[in-house]
Amino acid sequence: MSQSSVIGAGTIVRGNVEGEGSLEIFGRVEGDVSMGGEVMLGEGGAVRGNVSGEKISVHGAVLGDLLATHAVLLERGAKVVGDLSAPRIGIANGALVRGTVRTEGEPALAAPNKRAATAAVFKPSAFAAKPVAKAEPKLVPPAEPVEEDEGEDEDEDEDEDYDYDQQREAAVMPPARPKEKEPERRPPPPVLPSLGKGAKAKKKKHRD
Amino acid sequence: MAGTVIGEGLSIEGDVTSDEEVVVQGNLRGKLTSTDAVSIGPSSVVQADITGQSVSIAGQVVGDITAPERVDIQAGGRLVGDVKAARFTIADGASFKGAVDMEV
Repeated sequence: MSQSSVIGAGTIVRGNVEGEGSLEIFGRVEGDVSMGGEVMLGEGGAVRGNVSGEKISVHGAVLGDLLATHAVLLERGAKVVGDLSAPRIGIANGALVRGTVRTEGEPALAAPNKRAATAAVFKPSAFAAKPVAKAEPKLVPPAEPVEEDEGEDEDEDEDEDYDYDQQREAAVMPPARPKEKEPERRPPPPVLPSLGKGAKAKKKKHRD
Repeated sequence: MAGTVIGEGLSIEGDVTSDEEVVVQGNLRGKLTSTDAVSIGPSSVVQADITGQSVSIAGQVVGDITAPERVDIQAGGRLVGDVKAARFTIADGASFKGAVDMEV
């Protein structure tokens, strides 16, 4: 029976805080916070250190990483300088974040076409190219980009427009094309360990 | 309700400074300073010097207590450390080892 704890607005903790239950912080904590339950950082609350818990909801300021086993929620007015990591992450309008955001524990997001996902997320130019690329087929004969695609399929370092086309194509009809191309993409034949002269001879002899 | 509650199951290692009431039900190691009342609950284990306007102890405390107003050790409370306070009471059933300075 772990009671919920409160660090009030007039309280400063210099050191690490850890426990089983839930914790509400309206004051300041200069140290790591590690809870088994929910951590609520209220408005005016501030933490200078890493925060971990089952669920972390932030209305205040954090200078450190947030790691939750269930969810991280940044509410309006939250300021976080640090990395977020949780299966579910919510960032409300008006919340400020500077750091890496990672939703972990979601197999559906992690596994398939990693390349397309990373390109779409981390290349802002890919987004910018979207409307242009959509307009393109009307102006340019459609055959050209398709041919380009087929010809230089295995080349990964292309300009963004091309990259985008390829991604879109993959997104529109994912199952058909990759299956056709699969034999071309096969990994190189396994490198066999070179055998010594004597060994080779032995082998031949054995076969005979 | 108290401003700050260090609940059962919570452990703090370090200094706690406050200008509001502090209730400790959990574990604390370090130092606890408040300009308001400090209450150490029955289930708590505290290894810290405590300063507060008034300090009430019902749990286990190892450390020196300083309070301008008063210090009370409740029944079941246990204090090992020196007490400096204008008023000081030890309830029946409490245990205490240390020196007392009532500024006489």
